[in-house]
Order: sequence, then structure tokens, then C-alpha cells
Amino acid sequence: MVELTLPRNSTVGKGQFFPAPAGATNVKSFKIYRWTPDDDRNPVMDTYEVDLDAIGPMVLDALIHIKNDIDPTLTFRRSCREGICGSCAMNIDGENTLACLKPIQDVKGDVAVNPLPHMPIVKDLVSNLDGAYAQLRSIEPWMQSDSAPPPDGERRQSIEERAKLDGMWECILCFCCTTSCPSYWWNGDRYLGPATLLAAYRWIADSRDEHTGERLDSLEDTFKLYACRTIMNCTQTCPKGLNPAKAIGRIKEMQVERKL
Amino acid sequence: MDASVSPRHEVMRSQLGRARGLGSGHSGTAHWIAERVSAATLLPLSGWFVVQMFRLGGADYEDVTKWGGKPVNATMLAALVISSFYHAEVGLQVIVDDYVHGKAHLPTKLLVRFGTWLVGLLGVIAVLKLALGKSSSRS
Repeated sequence: MVELTLPRNSTVGKGQFFPAPAGATNVKSFKIYRWTPDDDRNPVMDTYEVDLDAIGPMVLDALIHIKNDIDPTLTFRRSCREGICGSCAMNIDGENTLACLKPIQDVKGDVAVNPLPHMPIVKDLVSNLDGAYAQLRSIEPWMQSDSAPPPDGERRQSIEERAKLDGMWECILCFCCTTSCPSYWWNGDRYLGPATLLAAYRWIADSRDEHTGERLDSLEDTFKLYACRTIMNCTQTCPKGLNPAKAIGRIKEMQVERKL
Repeated sequence: MDASVSPRHEVMRSQLGRARGLGSGHSGTAHWIAERVSAATLLPLSGWFVVQMFRLGGADYEDVTKWGGKPVNATMLAALVISSFYHAEVGLQVIVDDYVHGKAHLPTKLLVRFGTWLVGLLGVIAVLKLALGKSSSRS
């Protein structure tokens, strides 16, 4: 049934405080979610005071600085630090985004950093996305065509056909959108979530793919597709500026189109 | 960690198996259309109803029964009642889907559907009583 409170072992407590070095003039506080599976303690929010003059402009710069120079136990994912790998997706200042694309100065007051919401936590800011990855796999995000490709080259596509994929191929699968969706929080075991549905529509809209009908068949489900309540958190939060809500709307339109 | 003692897991099914689940139910489109169509029909019907209520403001019992006895009014009223409760039935199911999980999901969903159907039927009977009742046949 409805859960109105956090489970007892998820209640977040107050953590440690790491003060700024003496002489720092441009100080900002980072409140960071900490939890480890190695003991039975509840999660806490540790506070780190960071000298902004010593680091780069993005939240990821601050996290790397904290890990390198203040507290090496802090755990988070990062790789490309330029918004193309999707590893550093986390909840910053109440919004899912990429730490490497989020300027520290965009946050008023203390910077709250939490893992992506409503997913199992591996440690600290690392959430377990295995379920979301499997859902992406379940929609078979690869080209499926029964016609043989031309023997002497690639499958061809007109400029107009290719343009239909714009706004979808750019998705880096950081799952900021999926984990921001209340409907996914409620029914994440059955609802596919915006990232996976955007990927599904990317193949439905691809002129070279011949399994459009099968794809629509497998999506037509009270939960897989229709648990979308057009809350639009997905579109609002996408750090790449994409519009998963529109893609989901297009899938629904196509479902209606082939029925009526 | 001691390799001989592996942690006990309640669910060992693969993530892909869980994600695929029971497969597609191949339904939902009709429900999605029903939500929108019933909302669209409610717009003119509700507008008509509000106008009629203003016109009947201050009318006595006889006037109202006379109004309800007219076939056009009775038809519009019945259509409004049916559209409203159909829309409610379709919409409440979505709320159950969102908030009720596990074993309670199916019985709650059926109960909500039956409940709205029953109350809607009561509304239709009331409209029929107004339309076909004694006081209107007298006028």
C-alpha cells in the first residue's frame, strides 16, 4: 500500500562536519548523502566546506576535490566530466542532473547532493541501475529489419527520415529522467520509465527499422507504457535538454492511430 | 567476505527476466482513449448542466419535475450522469494503479469499478424516476 514515511533504516541522520581550510575566503557548503553497506548504520548527510577559489566551476569539480583532498571515502561515479558519459548523474539541489554540467554558482546557499532518487543504493552517491538497464534491454534497442542490407553499403535514409531521430539519439542513458518520475517510483517494476520509452521511440521512428508493429505491440500495456501520467518531470530534469515526454506522447498517438 | 557463505537472496531471477515480467498485456489503449473521450463529452454536458441550473434557480419542486420530464432534458441529464461516472471509473482505476500494490491491487481495482458503476446506476435511475415519475406525467 501507500508508504507515507521512509522505512526506519532509510531515515537520514546528521553526519560529520569538515570545515574549510584556514584563510579560505570563498567558501561554499556541500551537504552530501553518505551510506555504506559495510555497517548497519542509517544514511547521514555529511557537510564539507569547500574553498571555491581552489577548484573548477562545476559540482563534479567540488566532489573530486572533496575525494582527493578532504575525505577519500566519498564514493561517486564519474568519467568523462563533459556530459557525454552519464556516469555522474545524481540529485543536486533537488534536481536530477549531471554533476559535471551543473555549475556550483547556480545553487543558492548550501549544495545538497543526493543519489538518484528511489533506486537501491550501492554506496554514497552510487545508485543501482541494474533494473533500469534491464528494462532498456527488454525493448531491444537495436535495428531489426527483415530486408537484407544492400551488399555494397549501409542502409540508406533520407535527410527527412534521419531528422526524425533528432532529439533522441542524443540520449546518454544517465537515467536522470527515469529516476525523477513519480510514476516510476510507484511502479518501477512494471512501468518502463521515460529513458527506456525514449529509446523505444527512437527505434519506432527509425525509417530503417521494420519491426515498428512488434515494438508497439510489446509496449501496449497498462503499465509498461500507459503508467506515464504526463507528469513531465522527465523533460524538466533532462540534463541534455531532451523531451522524453513528447516521445512517450508520440508512442501513445501511434497506438491510437493503429486502433481507430 | 567468506566465499563459502553467500548472502541469501529472496529473488534470484535475472534482471532481464524481471524487466520482461509477464510481457505486454496488449491493453491500455482503449482505456487511454476512454479517459479522453469521456473528458471531452463532459465539457458540453457540464456546460449545459450549469446553464440549466442557473435557469432553474429558485424554481419549486413542480417546476423542476416538469423540467426533468422533458425528453431532451432527461436525455442530457442521463448522458451527463453516465459520462461522469464512466470518467470517474476510468480515472479512479489509474489512482489505484499508482497507489495500491501487491495482493490488494486487483480486489481494490474491481471494488472501485463496481462501486462507481453502482453509484452511476443510482444516478441513472434517479433521472429516469424524474423523467417517468407520476408528477411529470400529470403535467
